[in-house]
Amino acid sequence: MVDQAAVVSSSIEEETTGSGDSPLRLALRRLRRNKIALFFGVIFLLVVLVCLLAPVYANDIAHTGPNANHISEIIKVNGKATPVVNTIGLPIGPTYHSKFFFGADQNGRDIAVRLLYGGRNSLAIGFMATIVTMIGALLFGVTAGFFRGWTDTILSRLLDLIWAYPALLLAAALGVSLAVGGVNLGFAHLSGSSILIPSMVIGVVYIPYVARPIRGEVLTLREREFVDAARILGYSRVRIIFSEILPNLSASILPVFFALQLAQSIVLEAALSFLGAGVQPPSASWGTMLSDGSGLISVSPHLVLVPGIMLIIAALSVNVFGDGIRQAFDPRSSRH
Amino acid sequence: MRMRRTVLGIAGLTTAALTLAACSSSGGGNTGSGNGPSSQNTSAAKSGGTVKVVEGTYPDSLDPDFSYTTQGLEADDTVYIPLLTYAAKEGTAGTQLIPGLATALPTVSSDGLTYTMTMRSGIKYSDGTPVQAADFAHAIERSIKISWGGSSFFTGYIKGAADYAAGKAQTISGIQTDNSTGKITITLSQPYGAFDNILAFESAAPIPSSTPMKVLSNTPPIGDGPYKFGKVVPNGSYQLLRNAAFASYNIPGIPTGYADEVDVSVNSNTTAEAQAVLNSQADVFDAGDTIPAQVLPQVMSQAKDRYQKTPLASTYYFFMNSRVAPFNNKAARTAVNMAMDRPALAKLSSGALTPGCNFLPPTIAGHADGACSFGDPTVSPSAATVAKAKQMIKSAGLAGTPVTVWSETRQPRQNFCLYLNDLLNTLGFKSTMKVVADATYFQTIGNESLNPQIGFADWSQDFPNPSDFYLLLSKAGIQRTNNENFGDVDDPQIESQLAPLEKDPASQLSADASKWQALDKYVADQSYVAVYGYQTAPKFLSDRVNFSAAVFNPVDYILFSTVGLK
Repeated sequence: MVDQAAVVSSSIEEETTGSGDSPLRLALRRLRRNKIALFFGVIFLLVVLVCLLAPVYANDIAHTGPNANHISEIIKVNGKATPVVNTIGLPIGPTYHSKFFFGADQNGRDIAVRLLYGGRNSLAIGFMATIVTMIGALLFGVTAGFFRGWTDTILSRLLDLIWAYPALLLAAALGVSLAVGGVNLGFAHLSGSSILIPSMVIGVVYIPYVARPIRGEVLTLREREFVDAARILGYSRVRIIFSEILPNLSASILPVFFALQLAQSIVLEAALSFLGAGVQPPSASWGTMLSDGSGLISVSPHLVLVPGIMLIIAALSVNVFGDGIRQAFDPRSSRH
Repeated sequence: MRMRRTVLGIAGLTTAALTLAACSSSGGGNTGSGNGPSSQNTSAAKSGGTVKVVEGTYPDSLDPDFSYTTQGLEADDTVYIPLLTYAAKEGTAGTQLIPGLATALPTVSSDGLTYTMTMRSGIKYSDGTPVQAADFAHAIERSIKISWGGSSFFTGYIKGAADYAAGKAQTISGIQTDNSTGKITITLSQPYGAFDNILAFESAAPIPSSTPMKVLSNTPPIGDGPYKFGKVVPNGSYQLLRNAAFASYNIPGIPTGYADEVDVSVNSNTTAEAQAVLNSQADVFDAGDTIPAQVLPQVMSQAKDRYQKTPLASTYYFFMNSRVAPFNNKAARTAVNMAMDRPALAKLSSGALTPGCNFLPPTIAGHADGACSFGDPTVSPSAATVAKAKQMIKSAGLAGTPVTVWSETRQPRQNFCLYLNDLLNTLGFKSTMKVVADATYFQTIGNESLNPQIGFADWSQDFPNPSDFYLLLSKAGIQRTNNENFGDVDDPQIESQLAPLEKDPASQLSADASKWQALDKYVADQSYVAVYGYQTAPKFLSDRVNFSAAVFNPVDYILFSTVGLK
């Protein structure tokens, strides 16, 4: 995450000089030239698309749901009757057929179906958590950076407080405690099994990691001529934030942080679910699938390989794509 | 009030037939007639040498007045001899009470309140100190003072023990001892048929009266058994050394030991633990542990002559709250029992559960083998049966009722609940799960204010007596907190049948078995619980030791004093 702070110092002005294009337009142009980033961006989109099609696969191809147990079922694999789960509890491996394409887990649940449904949860949590992080980080970062003084001191120390805890430990602690009783918001109650809980938890613990660089960027922006001009024109501070600061942030570091943060959130979700503090059973996520299969890793490696590879593909693709965005907004870094 | 004893995991495999096989298997080993190695199987087991035991978990304590886990029990069983103990045999025969330090089983007064015994003379502790009758009272008082997990068995039944526990009395008025004659008289506050079993706890074994009233896990009290503690490395290992004098006491039925030394070490990696025994680098696999699925095929193929699945008195079931919808409706409970695929649940346990549907497990008087009201538990329900169960739910107007399945985190317990959750949805309920950390699970579902509807439960015997199980289904078991009657079963018929049975002495259990069986059938017919199996534990030994001589007792697990080298 520290590397992301380098984005803040990008010399957008340097690149815009002479071309007349906006920083965003320039960045998009650079991104289009980065074939590797685009390739991984497409991969990520495919992952999202395939996961969105989970119900279609489950209903029309595998003919089973993500939580349906088939412990006593016997299927034909290459003409041979094979139990989905054998007498000592070992599940069937990949069949590469419509049923149990990637095999089954201990409860005889179709791994391929759970992979796709789990992907939906993992990605949904990743997106929601990233949105929470970005909103929180903007709120804290912009307020602290723009108002400075005591406001900055108090908010910065508050962020330091959260930062002082390792993200995984803090998220696990929050996740476990909230997963038991859920969250009572007064006007609504979030069940402990709701994916909104891990989304909120992950989103909150990452706020300091994004808010700090945003604060730094705002500290720079507020000294710029166009902000001075707005002040001279009598704009209120709130108006300056919305008309001058936020547009500059959204055209520079926000897209970069969003992409990189998305990868971080997906990975943290997997870690939390692995530890039992994220997605709650019987719902699937790539993390819960890894956890479920970890006990049989030596005899049924498909239980961890399949979700593990999917997690790597998703996290890697969004990370490389995010890096492409970073390079697009930060041309200096690409020359290093 | 009571606590479950075991820290056993689910493991193992093999066939359900072993239940019967184990019940009739021999064991016994070097049972003492006082003349050293004797009786059966001695031809293959020899005296001397060192036996290595590897355990996945270190005993909770080596102090007999504090320990309450399988691993602690195995250690203490060889070091401390109570007034009564269990026959050193496998299967149901191993649940038979025999005199230990007492000369005979107790004489019980007609009102069931007074137990009288006489202690054997000439018995000494391993340091040479004579064992005295007063030492029994000291052990009971010490167990209460240092808060043994099962001390409520003493405070709940021995007259004056509750006052002693509360600090209102200096001694327990209900225990009278005479060192000169060895006579011990115990007066109960209420009749309790299973009190004989209480006297067989290791915590009731006499220890020197000078033993301080504090937990001595690392420097356990001196004992009077066939072994004594040697070097103890806390949370790492401990040694048991042969007490040479024990054989001279000629206590019938109690093994005098084969090995000169038993070295017990801990390896929390169960795969490594199993591999060590498989390769004969260690001799005894922890009976409280699981043989991992990845090692099981090797064990089955390479060591099938030294591996055996042994039935335990432990019932696995789903509780169903009979006071809360939808399981306050018998149709809902019956539908779950009918449609439950018990062989599938046995698979989830890696074959370590024997499918069953009656509440009382094997080795407990009153247990009925085979079919129950819902058909043969070893056969998966047919599609027609499941359809019929669904129809029952629909007809009862319960389809779509929200249900929460309560589960522990650890596998395979969570796998059991995943199955149940799917089954309930199949039957037409709207089921979700709530997974609670293992350490707080039973306290959580035991909180009456949460009104848990359905979820995982199990019970392992404190002692081999059906009354120990029926607390879980009796009105007395219902508590606002730490409730153990998770389904809040409160049935007058159960209470009326239970009351006289609980007063019958343990020595009459065989005669009363049919009555317990009738009660168990009634409970199954009412579907108060959804029993799906009984736990088995692995008896897995190295190639160096005599397998048939070693005894896996259903109460005390592997008797180290019966494990000898070939």
